[in-house]
Amino acid sequence: MANIIRSASRRDVLKIASLAGAGAAFGGHAGYAADKKISFMHESSFIPAYDDFMKKTLVPEYAKAVGVDVDYQLISVGSLQTRVATAAETGNGPDITAVYFSWPFLFDDKLLDVSDIAEAIGKKNGGWYDSIKESAIVNGKWKAVPFGNVGQLMNWRSDWFGEVGIKDFPDTWDGLLEAGIKLKKAGHPFGFELGHGFGDNHGWLYPLLWSYGAHEVEPDGKTVVIDSDETARAIDYARKLFQQTMLEDCLGWTDVNNNKAWMSEQISCTNNAESILWFAKKQFPDIGKVTQQSLNPQGPKGRFHILAPWNHAIYNFSANQQAAKDFLVWLMDPKQVERWYSSADSYYAPFLKAYDNAPFWSVEPRNLPYRDSLSTSHLPGWPAPIGRPQTESVAKYVVVDMFAKACSGKSTKEVIADAAAQLKQIYKTA
Amino acid sequence: MSAHSQALGSTSLRPRPRPAFSFRRWTEREGVFSWLMVIPPALFLVALVGYPFVYGIWLSLEERPVAKPGVFIGLSNFISLVHDPVFWQVAQNTFVYTISATVLKMIGGLGLALVLNQDFKFKNIIRAVMLLPFIVPTVLSTIAWMWILDPSFSVVNWFLVRWGIANPGPSWLGNPKLAMFSLIMVNTWRGLPFYAITLLAGLQTISPELYEAATIDGASTFARFRYITAPLLKPVVFIVTMFSVIFTFSDFQLVYVLTRGGPANATHLFATYAFDVAMSGGQFGLGAAIALSMLPPLALLIAGMAWYMRSEKT
Repeated sequence: MANIIRSASRRDVLKIASLAGAGAAFGGHAGYAADKKISFMHESSFIPAYDDFMKKTLVPEYAKAVGVDVDYQLISVGSLQTRVATAAETGNGPDITAVYFSWPFLFDDKLLDVSDIAEAIGKKNGGWYDSIKESAIVNGKWKAVPFGNVGQLMNWRSDWFGEVGIKDFPDTWDGLLEAGIKLKKAGHPFGFELGHGFGDNHGWLYPLLWSYGAHEVEPDGKTVVIDSDETARAIDYARKLFQQTMLEDCLGWTDVNNNKAWMSEQISCTNNAESILWFAKKQFPDIGKVTQQSLNPQGPKGRFHILAPWNHAIYNFSANQQAAKDFLVWLMDPKQVERWYSSADSYYAPFLKAYDNAPFWSVEPRNLPYRDSLSTSHLPGWPAPIGRPQTESVAKYVVVDMFAKACSGKSTKEVIADAAAQLKQIYKTA
Repeated sequence: MSAHSQALGSTSLRPRPRPAFSFRRWTEREGVFSWLMVIPPALFLVALVGYPFVYGIWLSLEERPVAKPGVFIGLSNFISLVHDPVFWQVAQNTFVYTISATVLKMIGGLGLALVLNQDFKFKNIIRAVMLLPFIVPTVLSTIAWMWILDPSFSVVNWFLVRWGIANPGPSWLGNPKLAMFSLIMVNTWRGLPFYAITLLAGLQTISPELYEAATIDGASTFARFRYITAPLLKPVVFIVTMFSVIFTFSDFQLVYVLTRGGPANATHLFATYAFDVAMSGGQFGLGAAIALSMLPPLALLIAGMAWYMRSEKT
């Protein structure tokens, strides 16, 4: 009897195991429908109304007008690059994806050449800003259709600046230092991220470096030139700014911290995207009223900003390439895209010059500096052409850590030597 | 008595005809069935552990940018790591983090296990509650720690300022040394229950008679711990330490949520550095090489411990 039960259960186990194996081998493949449906992957926006507008208005409109269903897939903040990479590696994923920063260069081999539509859209809408070409054109071909820039600018408390007698935001870094010293004495320190976040650190440190005339590599993309007097001056300045105006905690900040400090009224000035104002207006209206935004201060060699572009790219393994292109052309038509830009107030600054004076800019005039920063914005690694080494340098926080180490007490010479050693190693294999 | 001996004992001299092959009977043979049982998990291991591991080794020998074909470059990735100052800092961080957290967990866990092994009211409830840090998903509990260590909202700093010990309170994640200290504390908090509960299980296997005999012989509490508890608990301590070292050495979530390796790489560990280089930097080859660098020290440590355990037994 025991034997019968044993043999029966043995057979069952085998049966279940083989069925499960077959299921795993043949089932579960979530393919993308070949026609009448395209998929569009995006990172969740900090402005929920923007994603809602796509889902509830534009997607139904497109289905009605063209008969193609758009599957708008949202990925949580900070996870999109992993998803874009997974799709590129496996050749299985959405048709269209949002791409950020230097990704068109990273995933170049897997992205469709969209030069025809990108150029046509530019021509129709007053032309593209030159800065976006740094990010979207890879080896002479447009690998993405530019969408909008989420700039990083100076956010400051007009009431506290006013209390120490400063009405307008300082025009130079030295002016900012002077203001910061007064404000810290008055109990309102500055707070600029110096830790390992995604954007608020690069947002002011690269522009600071450039405005002193320093950069990581020459335009040849090979010669490392970080070891310069200009870099040393920028570092000495940053150290003073940190020690005399900021909270020590900034060294360990990631992107959320300055927002938290802002909303809890701990800091009087930071560098952030305009979401800080948007959020303050919604949740902390009193703080929203006194939040001002300005261009970065200028240094001896000019005024600079970080380019933080969101673009749309089509995977070259997509089975719906033409449908995806058609959708992007439709989307970028003023009838559609202007409303999408408006839904986010002006969080995404268009790279198309035709929108320079669009009505959505007047909804919140304090956002205008984000438009004005476009012509002086660059990707990290500038003025070298963008490629793999720049991305590696950003991922290793070479420039950020150079400044952070100096701020935490290391000598200028030492931190430059560290950065130069790292950069030489990164660019050697370029 | 087997079929074979029955056949020999029968009157018939003719050999018994071989039964026709039956698949069912074949699968019931012990030798066949055991293999059929072992093969699926073995395949599972090969697919989910073996293949990624071998692929990782292969990747580490390639210049392999994301979404591009790789080029075999031999040991070049490892050679560049040797010359990368951040890599050495990461290695040092990982060792400091692992050793400090493991020692703290061991001492704290042993203490906790000894206390929990006593008889007291609500013993079972307290044992269950103690496991909470280990049960709560790490990302969630770490977000709570993010608030505890936040300079503006820190409950710790609130007390420090209120009691006049420090004003302003320390920057737990902004100061490079304090940041590492904070991470070690959070890791210890999270891993302590694992130590405590395993050691408690070990303590309960020690026969009370040994303690009774020792007490009759006049052994002090310390002597009972020194000569009974410690030697009998040693194998459990070794096993739990081995697990803890592996988990701590390859920790990722905690650092990724709290500091992402900052300030200035002061808290970067092998796993977080490998992730940044491979995923954010798009350098799969170099990232794999960083991740693989965890293997030799871990393998040495585990081999050493296994060897020590064996030599203790004989």
